[in-house]
Amino acid sequence: MTVMTTQTAPVVDFDQVSRNFGNVRAVDGLTLSLRPGETVALLGPNGAGKSTTLDLLLGLKQPDSGAVRVFGGTAREAIVAGRVGAMLQSGGLMDEVTVAELVGLACALHPRPYKASDVMARAGIAQIASRKVNKLSGGQAQRVRFALATAGDSDLIVLDEPTTGMDVTARQSFWATMREQADQGRTVLFATHYLEEADAIADRVLVLHRGRLLADGTAAEIKARAGARRISFDLEGETDERALRELPFLTALTVSRNDSAAGSGHTVRIQSADADATVHALYGLGLYPRNLEVAGLGLEQAFVAITAAEEAKTK
Amino acid sequence: MNNLIKLELARALRNRKFLFFSVIYPSVLFLLISSTSGATTKVDGTGLTLPTYMMVSMASFGALTAVLMGNSERIAKERENGWVRQLRLTTLPGRGYVLAKTAAAAVVSLPSIVVVFVCAAVLKDVRLDAWQWGALTAAIWAGSLVFAALGVAIGYLADGDAVRPITMITYFGLSILGGLWWPTATFPAWLRDIAEWVPTHAYAALGQAIEQSQAPHARDIAVLVAFFALFTGGAAWLYRKDTLKA
Repeated sequence: MTVMTTQTAPVVDFDQVSRNFGNVRAVDGLTLSLRPGETVALLGPNGAGKSTTLDLLLGLKQPDSGAVRVFGGTAREAIVAGRVGAMLQSGGLMDEVTVAELVGLACALHPRPYKASDVMARAGIAQIASRKVNKLSGGQAQRVRFALATAGDSDLIVLDEPTTGMDVTARQSFWATMREQADQGRTVLFATHYLEEADAIADRVLVLHRGRLLADGTAAEIKARAGARRISFDLEGETDERALRELPFLTALTVSRNDSAAGSGHTVRIQSADADATVHALYGLGLYPRNLEVAGLGLEQAFVAITAAEEAKTK
Repeated sequence: MNNLIKLELARALRNRKFLFFSVIYPSVLFLLISSTSGATTKVDGTGLTLPTYMMVSMASFGALTAVLMGNSERIAKERENGWVRQLRLTTLPGRGYVLAKTAAAAVVSLPSIVVVFVCAAVLKDVRLDAWQWGALTAAIWAGSLVFAALGVAIGYLADGDAVRPITMITYFGLSILGGLWWPTATFPAWLRDIAEWVPTHAYAALGQAIEQSQAPHARDIAVLVAFFALFTGGAAWLYRKDTLKA
């Protein structure tokens, strides 16, 4: 085996990792590797195996087969070395102590701690420092968990559905906080089923479905993989639907009547795997599309398309 | 780990209900029971007055309360809410959690012993040699570790709703059968035979031997050591099982 330098050693390395619970294969032959400095979203619906994957990564569960390496060693070694900070979805908090006491404990347990007051300020919980942990709202508790995960100078931050229980504003400010972590050169891995989060924040998206890695790429690539641009326009007069259906790279077509003051017409909506080619051919038909719009398909739809394709394949 | 012990301790000392039951309640019970007969009534077969005898019973009872209650319910609850998992993501060694809990419980159990002693000496005129006070405190304090281990085992055995009834049954069973509330001398013979093998009986007998200026009986020590091994072994096994499952 070749010796890897610290620069190129993967932060996390899964090699054919599987884990069953009874008859259910929660994680199925997962192979992936995270590089230093990446912000990676682990995206999938409930039950896709996200939490199990993170548990395997953190050494809370052992794989039935395959190997998990974190910074080239075991998860426990990486944790003891203070290289990993993690926030679990199921991570409870010690109650009947104050927020400041709990964060202080996390700092004391970290080999390279930050000052507790700084950690709380960054996590946005300075103003609730003296509150008892069991008296927090769901969103506040999530922020405290985040503070525990960022109590010291760790190289990898793992967050399992970190914005659960937060409203939209809280969520946005939370992600701003988290981006600061990524900007400091840390590797950040977060599980989410909020697809817009993966789209907005991650450099790289791993799509997990039924314990298997379905897609691995940038959010843009994943959208492209699902045939992923939406074209819409209006046509006046009669519409030759059959000609439209012949357009190249077309994956979906809907035509709806659209009568306006200007006269009768139709609104056409198209999904295309190559919007440029489709639009070019559209003009080639001699049509004059009005109000032409080309937009990216949201990751949500891309995700639905990818998982639907996967399900069709397995049937 | 010291920080976790400190925090566990702060939390225990803040919990009024817990403090009441482990520190105040045994002393109150001691005063009630020792007032039921004259200060000179001897407990059969011991040569000790009732207050002297019950002082050790109630100090043992208080220590039992502190360590058993302190461990079992909290561990079960924190296993369930995921705090134990969260701690596994820190540098804290695996057993650090249990050790911190036990250490904090042991700190609380000390005042529950001492307060009973003070009540006995001041209000019930119990008089012992200085070495006896010291030896009693040490023996009852050290002996409470047996039940701290039991608390840990129950905490890893039972989940959520089950832990309280299991703890309570164990707690009252051990207290009554072990003769902490009434001297076993008042038990019918068949029950006395059972009580001889109950760890709390051996536990209180340690202290009562010291009060009689005797060395603790070998059988009592053997019973305590055997139960300590059983409880720690059980706790370790359940802990490992829980860690694999989590």
